[in-house]
Amino acid sequence: MSGRRAGAISLRILQQFRHDRRTLMLLFGAPIILLGLFYFLTGGGSSLPAVDVVNLDRGPLGAVLAADLGQSTEINVARTTEARAASDLSADAVAAYVVLPADLSARAQSGDVIAPTVHLEGTQPALTQPVLLALDQSVTRASRNLVAAEGVHVPVLEPSLDYLHGGPGLDTLDYFGGAFIGLVVFLLVFVVTIIAFLRERSQGTLERLMASPLRRADIVVGYIGGFMVVATVQAVEVVVFTLYALHVHNQGNVALIVLLTLLMTLVAVNLGIFLSMFATTEFQAVQFIPLAIVPQVLLSGIVFPIATEPSWLQVVSRLLPLTYGVDGLRDVMLKGNGLTSGPLLLDVAVVVAFAVALIAAATATLRRSAS
Amino acid sequence: MSAPSVAVSVEGLTKAFGSIRALDGVSLTVGAGEIYGLLGPNGAGKTTLIRSLVGLITVDTGTVTVLGRRLPDRAVLAEIGYMPQSPALYADLTVEENVRFFAAVHGLDRPAAARSTADALEFVDLSPRRRSVVATLSGGMRQRVSLACALVHRPRLLLLDEPTVGVDPQLRAELWRRFTTMSGEGTTIIVSSHVMDEAERCGRLGLVRFGRMLAEGTSAELRRLAGVERLEDAFLVLSESRP
Repeated sequence: MSGRRAGAISLRILQQFRHDRRTLMLLFGAPIILLGLFYFLTGGGSSLPAVDVVNLDRGPLGAVLAADLGQSTEINVARTTEARAASDLSADAVAAYVVLPADLSARAQSGDVIAPTVHLEGTQPALTQPVLLALDQSVTRASRNLVAAEGVHVPVLEPSLDYLHGGPGLDTLDYFGGAFIGLVVFLLVFVVTIIAFLRERSQGTLERLMASPLRRADIVVGYIGGFMVVATVQAVEVVVFTLYALHVHNQGNVALIVLLTLLMTLVAVNLGIFLSMFATTEFQAVQFIPLAIVPQVLLSGIVFPIATEPSWLQVVSRLLPLTYGVDGLRDVMLKGNGLTSGPLLLDVAVVVAFAVALIAAATATLRRSAS
Repeated sequence: MSAPSVAVSVEGLTKAFGSIRALDGVSLTVGAGEIYGLLGPNGAGKTTLIRSLVGLITVDTGTVTVLGRRLPDRAVLAEIGYMPQSPALYADLTVEENVRFFAAVHGLDRPAAARSTADALEFVDLSPRRRSVVATLSGGMRQRVSLACALVHRPRLLLLDEPTVGVDPQLRAELWRRFTTMSGEGTTIIVSSHVMDEAERCGRLGLVRFGRMLAEGTSAELRRLAGVERLEDAFLVLSESRP
């Protein structure tokens, strides 16, 4: 071992860093951005899931309980009618609604169990827990006051859960399966395209193509065609494996899952071509993964529900294509929606719009003339 | 316009990259079937000039007319063959796949592309290696594949940017014999070089320096102009005649 020779290598590496500003920014900037995102996603300044409360109780406990739920730090409560709450839930406007039954006070006073009904949307497990936690806390607080006043026992809380979609039969894999199909395909196709297109630039063949009678659109469409052949095989493979080998729950149309997956691929191909313009080496292209992919994974609602993000972050989430792809896949697989469903059509339309916009952007980045 | 006698006409071309003036008022006329050599040191503007002839450069001022069409004109690109300085090839494809791809890109249908590919590989003497993956070839062989890609569609104008770098003397002589044959058949060839024995084979030469055309003429004319015996000396004398 020679200190001087090893030192020469260390020095050279530092010199290379000095010349590569972008890598430095990545090393020092990306952790702040990613950890910051993590902070906001796991609670810092985040929004509370919206929950409707319907009080049908003829006694005093229901009103006390509903008022206490209104003070909850876990959920954001609105009091409404049962019909209104049900329509809010099916429109995805609330994560759940709680019905406090007519005999709530009566059963609490007789020392019996109390059984409010919690109607859950069901496709977002992360939203279920805060609702049950808030209910539990409020029942304890509310009945303790009544116990002191009227000398009854603290009732046992046994909420009955009702799921609009999914239900207790679904496990974690079922919830994440659909989202992961979209994510895996999107990520892999993006990485492969950005590297392939970057090589086209760096090895000089793109310049050769520009000196030929090809139109820019020919190049982009050609890339889409080539990659879509491979991507179709990949999408079918991933969907078949997920559904039939992993037995992930699906109550929708399999062809629709493949279609959504392919649309995600189309977005990924064009995002790859477009972003390749902003990289000069494969090293820099790989750097787009933490910058362009990881925030999308965190913000697309795969793990952290968008409804609980801080409101400004929700705006960011709504600007990311993966958000709509993931939502669409969940709509199909967990809710069994078809193309007649408004929310699913909206997801499909937005993904298509992203694809078209990125095709245009990718084409525009291919300047025939060098600057 | 049937078979114009002027293949390339460039007038008052200027192009600046930032503060560097790569082309500074270059004018040039090349007749059909001519072999025209662009001579000049590295950074003189030869590559920029050649790239502007295939529309890869948006010039600041001046006009470029190629085969009777004023650039930019996408259609005329089908009749131009361009060989860039570094062999721009798909390293993971075979020799034949590369050449056939560029044939297709220039609009040849499958049978025509197959025929032309075979001819082009014959021309650059690479038929036996046609199934080799480009990544496994030597630098000189890659240069020849690159040349085959540039002429596979039988262009009327061939632009060669330092085509014989890394090619051994025997093959270089062979390639030049073939360039001469092509020019005899009507193909216009513009070739940049700083190898003097190559320059001797060109019909006319243009001496480029600091983005300007310093002198033009046959090898004999340039030597007479400089008052020296050897072209290399003429090149040095004329390069220094103006700043």
